[in-house]
Amino acid sequence: MRYRLDLTLRHAEGALARVLGATERRGFRPLSVDGETQADGDRWHLRMTVEGERADHALQQQLAKLHDCLAVQVSPC
Amino acid sequence: MRAPQPAPRTQDATAACRNERIDGARWLVRALVAEGVDTLFGYPGGAIMPFYDALHGAALRHVLVRHEQGAAFAANGYARASGRVGVCVATSGPGASNLVTGIADAMLDSVPMVVITGQVATPLMGTDAFQELDVFGMTMPIVKHSFIARRVEELPRIVGEAFRIARSGRPGPVLIDLPKDVQVAGAAQLPPHRPLPVDAVPRPAEASLHEALALISQAQRPLLYGGGGIVLGDALRDFRTFVDATQIPAVLTLKGLGALPSAHPLNLGMLGMHGSRAANMAVQECDVLIVVGARFDDRATGKLAEFAPRARVVHMDLDACEIGKLRHADAGVRGDIRRTLTALTLPCAAHLHARHGAARRHWRALCQQRAREHAARYDAPGERVYAPALLKRLSELAPDAIVACDVGQHQMWVAQHCAFDDPRKHLTSGALGAMGFGLPAAIGAQLQDPNAKVICVSGDGSFLMNVQELATLRRYGLPVKIVLLDNQALGMVRQWQELFFERRYSEIDLSDNPDFGALARAFGVHALQVERADGVEAALRALLDAPGPAVLHVAIDTAANVWPLVPPNHNNAQMLDADDVASLPPAAQAGTTETTPTDAKETSHALPA
Repeated sequence: MRYRLDLTLRHAEGALARVLGATERRGFRPLSVDGETQADGDRWHLRMTVEGERADHALQQQLAKLHDCLAVQVSPC
Repeated sequence: MRAPQPAPRTQDATAACRNERIDGARWLVRALVAEGVDTLFGYPGGAIMPFYDALHGAALRHVLVRHEQGAAFAANGYARASGRVGVCVATSGPGASNLVTGIADAMLDSVPMVVITGQVATPLMGTDAFQELDVFGMTMPIVKHSFIARRVEELPRIVGEAFRIARSGRPGPVLIDLPKDVQVAGAAQLPPHRPLPVDAVPRPAEASLHEALALISQAQRPLLYGGGGIVLGDALRDFRTFVDATQIPAVLTLKGLGALPSAHPLNLGMLGMHGSRAANMAVQECDVLIVVGARFDDRATGKLAEFAPRARVVHMDLDACEIGKLRHADAGVRGDIRRTLTALTLPCAAHLHARHGAARRHWRALCQQRAREHAARYDAPGERVYAPALLKRLSELAPDAIVACDVGQHQMWVAQHCAFDDPRKHLTSGALGAMGFGLPAAIGAQLQDPNAKVICVSGDGSFLMNVQELATLRRYGLPVKIVLLDNQALGMVRQWQELFFERRYSEIDLSDNPDFGALARAFGVHALQVERADGVEAALRALLDAPGPAVLHVAIDTAANVWPLVPPNHNNAQMLDADDVASLPPAAQAGTTETTPTDAKETSHALPA
């Protein structure tokens, strides 16, 4: 299954690495990553496409636990 | 030898710093005091020297360990026993990397810790400088969160957040990487540190409580499956009230032991790979499994697809990630476990004598009958020391002790045969299974309460992994009592090789162990020894009566195994006992088998439960 992830992150050191690391560790393979910072520079908006066989809600909950993750939505694509 | 005295703790840190230049390191020391830290465990080195300079004369007790892993495990043990945040410190590079196992252990067992690592100065970061290591990157998967303080102005936010995150929700370790130039930067402009409040614990949703109640009230064979989340959620009393009110039998995980007193009539014991027969059989036969702060760990469930096959599941947990992660929850209650249990206790108890009352009473009686029939036996034949009997007696002689253990067979024997009335008195490396945990964790436990009776149960393999911390015991005069169960082998690996690798014993022989008594004495620690079963009582009493730190070296049978055992990829009803060993394949042919004195069939201690 492929999923689209829409994330809002703190623009903090390590935030991107944490998201990518947690995604792969939890069994999802990133296929595309795109993102930009907001004008004020303190937020990342990140869009990812991933694929994996595990439950998408589990990935959403794991990413939501990251301190730097302010919002995450996972939807099939 | 005169032990160095801890720094005076009555000194007013603010007054002490009034006339000195305030730099980042000194601000941090004050902030730690403001966070309520009284003890930190560490080892100095180049990149953390300004912080150690700031510690000089400060109102903090620093415990100098002999290896950074000892610092991490000691802070870990301090936190587990006290419920407070454990703090450890190391320098950059190897100092930081030596902390890694202790940090990982805290992450996997949800232990609140703040880890401070020195780092090379910010202009040198990324230049492969001396003792530069990306500990921030290296520890990313094993921390709840981490920070690099690149500017001194960031310290108030970072320190506040670090302690808040470590304490909030499901606790865990938070790392602060602290470059040397930040430590020495002027900090007079920074405000005094104010701790941040922990996050509010979410209340359980009413709808989820109704779903849970509906399932529990329909149950004819209900069973509680309690884990470490009970004590983490400060729900010990609420859990016991729920059990007493509903009269539902309970099984506990390794980290849940103590959530119900061992002698409680509804406590069926530990479930899982080395769980009790009564516990595992109850799980396999229950029709509603009420999971409280547990997470379906594979050592608890055995073959997951066949775990509790007839049960619908009510899962209560603070961490939403755990609900439905490995086993579908028919009713998931996310949020404060205390509130959840409190809300459910009276409505669930009301069903005790009403719906399915007779069926429930029959079920309860069956569970209790099995617990009696399959209770552990201690009447081992022979003259040699039977470790389970020794541990049971130890627990009887020191019923209020905090027991820290290492990892291996002795760890399982402690879980099976020591009685606990509080999970914070059982310090065990549950999820990570880190050998070397026991001794430094015991040191941390002793320092969080100098009046506590603290016992470390270790094995000959584990003990040598952090044996250097005997020097820490001696230095601070900590009266930790160590029971060293020496089977001259890596016992759990040996047991698996015997049972599942056709007795091809590969690299488990430790028959060239050092003289542990002499080793302890070399550190200035009193040492005792026992080799025969009839000497156990006197040896244990002598150990417990010893005025300071002491080691009891116990020679046990190399061939002793931990029973029962659920083989890998089997369900929990498929427990093996010593009697089943005879049906295993014969030993491998000579030439493919390492020659050890360990390949004799276990006979003297084959006591099926």
